[in-house]
Amino acid sequence: MFDSASKAGSQVEREAHWKTFETEAMPYAIGLYRVALWLTRNHAEAEDLLQETLTEALTSFHRFVLGTNCRAWLVTIMYHMQSKRRRSLSRLQLVGDAEERIAETVAFVTPTPQNVTDEEVLAALESLPRAFQEVVILADIEELSYKEIAAAINVPVGTVMSRISRGRKLLRGSLAKYANSHGFIRSAAQRISDSTENQ
Amino acid sequence: MQCRELREIADSYLSDELIVETNHDVISHLEQCDDCRRELAARRELNSRLRAAFINAPENQMRPEFADRLGIQLHEQALGKRSVPVVTRQRTLWLALAACLLLAAGLGLVVVRHRMSLQPVVHEVARYDQTPTYSPELNPGMPVNLVKIELAKSAAGDHQDCAVHFALAEKPIDLEVAGRKYDPVYINLTKAVLSQGNTPLDAELVEAHSCVFEGRRFAHIVLRYHGHLVSLLVTETDRTGETNGAPSQTLAQQQVIACSQFDGYQVSCFQTARHAVFVVSDLPEGENLSLARALAPSLYAHVTHTESAA
Repeated sequence: MFDSASKAGSQVEREAHWKTFETEAMPYAIGLYRVALWLTRNHAEAEDLLQETLTEALTSFHRFVLGTNCRAWLVTIMYHMQSKRRRSLSRLQLVGDAEERIAETVAFVTPTPQNVTDEEVLAALESLPRAFQEVVILADIEELSYKEIAAAINVPVGTVMSRISRGRKLLRGSLAKYANSHGFIRSAAQRISDSTENQ
Repeated sequence: MQCRELREIADSYLSDELIVETNHDVISHLEQCDDCRRELAARRELNSRLRAAFINAPENQMRPEFADRLGIQLHEQALGKRSVPVVTRQRTLWLALAACLLLAAGLGLVVVRHRMSLQPVVHEVARYDQTPTYSPELNPGMPVNLVKIELAKSAAGDHQDCAVHFALAEKPIDLEVAGRKYDPVYINLTKAVLSQGNTPLDAELVEAHSCVFEGRRFAHIVLRYHGHLVSLLVTETDRTGETNGAPSQTLAQQQVIACSQFDGYQVSCFQTARHAVFVVSDLPEGENLSLARALAPSLYAHVTHTESAA
């Protein structure tokens, strides 16, 4: 009798545990899949990574503090799972100097282009070095804060801030080429240039 | 606050990451500056556009059946119905691949033994259906079989199965570990690639490891170059004629890059006394060759230095 009651109680608790997880974590599965896909560049691997991440999150859900950002918590778990999956020479730790140099070559102020297509926006994002793509995706698409990104990818907040700034600058620069080719931003560029000179 | 200062911190402003005082300065400036207001509006618009484009891109969508299956599996796990972690599809594929390879290897051995007993000698190059394309104009004076076709074909296959499809029978290992265990040339090979004075700036290091393809061990460094995955592969050549006439070091350093094409992949290569180095990608032939030539000097120096020290 005791065992039966205990088991029934346990089942109720488990169901409640699942309901909370379902409410808090599962809505982020689609966004997490995008991050997984970006990390792995492969749909089958992205599915595996997402499954492993959510399985781990469910097991560790008692550690999640309700009211904090569940998406950031899940992204952090995903990065941890991915680093376990991949070999010790992590791709993201290896990129660095060359990309910093690329970013430095971008014009000081690039006017933000308009009238570009979705395909051009995505192509511009894809053209960014991976370290910059990563923070732009986490900040602008998955809407994580600088601090949350820093915790997830394990770099200082200052690095995140610098990469986001440079990544967006590169993105604008890349899109400006498209826009320029269409003749869209010539007047805007001129206006910015004029106003800078006047100051 | 000047316009230039504002535009430097505009991204942090849009991300709501500025301290209150700076935020106030930005707002004050925006109240008086039409250009900066427009610029910020354009950046905000671009961010929204980027988010929408990325989220809605068809290639970024999760399969609905996977989402359903995942939900069910997690629910069952939460209720304790599954005590053993689910074997993922990728792992299943690996197991299936390993089983197929074992079977194929076993069958292959039987067939080869049978053929050997019937045919004493077959000219090696003639066995290949895919004759490599060769560009004498790009490689003046280069012997066609500087590095044997078989080796270049293995390099192309390794690039395809390892860097592109992650479908190797044997799990790759860390390059430095492989260097200590199998071939000292692998030690600091990544550094040699990264320290290229003339490496194109937009070649990004993606991965470095040692893997085995068709029984041959490679050092495998994966770069992203102009949006393409490029594999740099180094493998030891044996001394039984496998490389068919290694060039003198001076010759090798100056012009030893040959070109072949297998399954749509360009292969550029050069060799040292005991190693062959390949650059494999789906880049256009000339571009692959240029990258190989840019990488060659410090790689050649690293490999030959290690060879002579061994």
